[in-house]
Amino acid sequence: MNTVVCLKQVPDTETLIKIAGTGIATDGIKWVISPYDEFAVEEALKMKEKMKAGNVTIVSLGPDRAIESIRTALAMGADTAVHVNDAAYYEKADPFATAAALAAAVKGLEYDAVFLGKQAMDDDSGQVPAMLGELLGIPVVTQVIKIEVADDKSKASVTREVEGGHALLDVSLPAVFSAQKGLNEPRYASLPGIMKAKKKPVDVKKAADLGVSDGPKTVVKELSLPPARQAGRIIQGDDAKAKAAALAKALHDEVKII
Amino acid sequence: MHGPQAEISREIFWNIVGPGFPVEQVLLYILVVGAILLFVRGLVKSGFVTRLKVAFEATGSDVERVNDPWSRLWYTLVDIFAHRKILKEPYQGAFHFFIFYGFLALLITTIIVFLQADVIWPIWRVWFMKDGFYLGLSLFADIFGLLAIIGVLMALARRYFFKPKWLDEKGEDNVILWYILAILVTGFIIEALRIQATEVNPASPMNPYIWFSPVGRTVAFIFAGMSEVALRDTHKVLWWVHVLGALGFIIYIAYSKLIHILMTPVNIFLRPDTDQPPIRTMPPEMFETAESFGIHNVEEFSWKDFLDNEACMRCGRCVEVCPAFNTDKPLLPRDVIQDIRSYVNQKAQIALDPNGTYQVLADDQYTGPALIGDGISKDTIWACTTCMGCVDACPAYILQFPKLIDLRRYLVMMESDFPAEVLDVFKGMENNSNPWGIGAHTRADWAKGLDVPIMAEKGEAEYLFYVGCAGAFDDLNKKVAISLVKLFKLAGLDFAILGTEEGCCGDSAKKIGNEYLYQALATANIEVFKSYNVKKIITLCPHGYNTLKHDYKELGGNFQVFHYTEILDTLIKKGKIQLKHPIENLGTITLHDSCYLGRYNKIYDQPRTLLKALKSGSLVEMEDHHAKSFCCGAGGGRMWMEETLGTRINQKRTQEALDAGAKTVCTACPFCYTMISDGIKELELEDKLQAIDIAQLVVRAAGLDDKIPKAAESGEPKQEEATE
Repeated sequence: MNTVVCLKQVPDTETLIKIAGTGIATDGIKWVISPYDEFAVEEALKMKEKMKAGNVTIVSLGPDRAIESIRTALAMGADTAVHVNDAAYYEKADPFATAAALAAAVKGLEYDAVFLGKQAMDDDSGQVPAMLGELLGIPVVTQVIKIEVADDKSKASVTREVEGGHALLDVSLPAVFSAQKGLNEPRYASLPGIMKAKKKPVDVKKAADLGVSDGPKTVVKELSLPPARQAGRIIQGDDAKAKAAALAKALHDEVKII
Repeated sequence: MHGPQAEISREIFWNIVGPGFPVEQVLLYILVVGAILLFVRGLVKSGFVTRLKVAFEATGSDVERVNDPWSRLWYTLVDIFAHRKILKEPYQGAFHFFIFYGFLALLITTIIVFLQADVIWPIWRVWFMKDGFYLGLSLFADIFGLLAIIGVLMALARRYFFKPKWLDEKGEDNVILWYILAILVTGFIIEALRIQATEVNPASPMNPYIWFSPVGRTVAFIFAGMSEVALRDTHKVLWWVHVLGALGFIIYIAYSKLIHILMTPVNIFLRPDTDQPPIRTMPPEMFETAESFGIHNVEEFSWKDFLDNEACMRCGRCVEVCPAFNTDKPLLPRDVIQDIRSYVNQKAQIALDPNGTYQVLADDQYTGPALIGDGISKDTIWACTTCMGCVDACPAYILQFPKLIDLRRYLVMMESDFPAEVLDVFKGMENNSNPWGIGAHTRADWAKGLDVPIMAEKGEAEYLFYVGCAGAFDDLNKKVAISLVKLFKLAGLDFAILGTEEGCCGDSAKKIGNEYLYQALATANIEVFKSYNVKKIITLCPHGYNTLKHDYKELGGNFQVFHYTEILDTLIKKGKIQLKHPIENLGTITLHDSCYLGRYNKIYDQPRTLLKALKSGSLVEMEDHHAKSFCCGAGGGRMWMEETLGTRINQKRTQEALDAGAKTVCTACPFCYTMISDGIKELELEDKLQAIDIAQLVVRAAGLDDKIPKAAESGEPKQEEATE
């Protein structure tokens, strides 16, 4: 079974984010595979191991630095990669432009399934999986926590997370699956994996090579940090009753939720 | 003729060799030669030679083993004859001492008799075994023979009446003791029979000196009523029993743990001549060229690892001290060695070709039991805290736990097979250079408002204060870091911290088996240290201390490294810090020795000196202290793993502190501090016991406090999600 995994390189989740214009300052940032995309990589690898055949191809849109994350995925066990290395395109890319570039790259490949995270950990838009499915003209199942593919690779039984429960559905293949936490536990790349990854083929392309010209459909106007979290406060009072009253007053007057 | 050639002496081979051709004597020497040949055959039959063949195929790298041979020889002799390590356990040390010296004395006596009867007399016709020398020799042999009997009885009593739970038992253990006892007892009986038949007679010239064989003489009373014929017949039979028994013993050495008589001295001579129990080095260039890392095939150990297996006599001292064993985990260091030994036997059966040549089989050719899993279980491999208790206790200088690190390395680097919770630790170290995975940019947040000099601003300083991850990120241990900088400033020490340029020391990564990650972390630190021309480093954490001081040398980082207890001790002695403020409510204090300060680096005194300098509370020792200190359970990366097997190590240690009557347990290691604090909470002992780091006490005694200034508390919210 051949699979494609789309991954995005994002700042480590612990990074101190500093705003620079309509983007973030990138100095001193440790870049990692977006955690949901890591689930996607792991799922593709598990599927390959289970079927004992097929290739896992990584597709990523990003500048030069993205190669590090691509190599990490190759070290985990992916076979080949397409790196859409186009800093100018990437700088301006919104979810649509991203999906367009990814779709163009995926189109040239042979695949039974496309995996990617349900959203990227940096901008959290969560639109790419659906757009990608649309652009590829195949079904999309989002927030997947379990996938079982039929032996003939014609369809898959999928469990997806919905509010307060699980939905079980069948989908014909090929299809796009977006990974939710709980799908699997991503593996740690072994040292031989890391060594081998250095020699695995990575196809580097520009957006123009893929014939993608559609610009972004949205533009970021402003970016701002959330207000600093306030220190907690202990409600004072002589007894439980007084404390409860003080709490109710605070919730009503200050927080305005009751 | 074998005397008596003098009146005060005895006839050698009395009642055995008659006049005329000495048939029995010749027979005896044929038997001796036969016994030696059977001993050699035994080495082959018992698998000893086969195991050595495997040792010759060993490919693992090793440390220097034969440098400075004369001092090694001297060390070995002192170890053997003074029982330097053996006597650290008084009871088993004493009985080994008695048996050892009993045997040695009897061996010397036998050699003297041999020289007299078979060399000196036949060649030169000189009889030196007479008069004072003879009497002295007789007394000497009797006393030491008795000592050996006492030793054997002590050993038997331990096996039968108060067998420690860490002592294992195989058939040979009892056989050997009863066997030795039988040889010694028959020896005394034949002596007694001879005395009864000869010296007891008042006409014998030896009669006045009869008590120079005190044991033989005493035993002879039993035979007082026997006729001379009966005495002689019994003597003749028992003499042969004794001789054949003694010769059989020589053969048995090859088949049993008695081989340690030969192999342990070899192992002592070849002991690692390093400051630390050597963990196999992995040169950085290896990561570019090698195809396999760590050990999963037994031949990947070094030849010396194979000798370790042969030198082990299963005494169990390593088991007695092992924190994993003592909390019912499936790790017994002795069994690690013994299991590797049995595994070698097992594998040899498959890997020996018909010519008896050992074939090293490639992974895809070999289908027998695996070293990891079948030979040594993964639970065993992961249970070790690297406390070094086993290595320190071993009288044969066997390296038990470093072998487990080799196996961990294979599991981690080749198979990515490690306890699930370690994944986040590795990722934390990779992405944020700390095992908690907290944002690297917050590494110096603890120092906010304290006006701590930062290397990047100061340029250079006499001392680099390497805070380490715990001091920088862990709320409990930030207080230690704060205490230390306050004390350093008070003393006017020229120091600076690296702030966010500091990285994880890598100790946990190394001991978990991720040498690749360790070297990446270590190399980054060394580069930063060198960029500020750092010469001297003070560490808060003993793990950082040990790693920076010893392990970084392998990667080209040579620094003078001090643990903070050493620095505070010096500053107080110089009068730079004065402890004038008594601390209330300390009660009885006990010190928990950190493994990495104590056993690893022999720092036992400074922490105690500091505690005494407080002039508050009174100091008691726990049952296990100094070199026998019991681990807190956090070393070897265990800090980051769940403890699902057996009971909890930290609780056992906490209980020990309580049992010692302490109200305050002092630590000088962030891991220990955390583990003991948790132990107190888990056992709900908060009202009886408190844990605190020595630095926090010193800072109070100096009239300061360990409080986090307001500036550090505000700022960013705590990022506790990071560890989920």
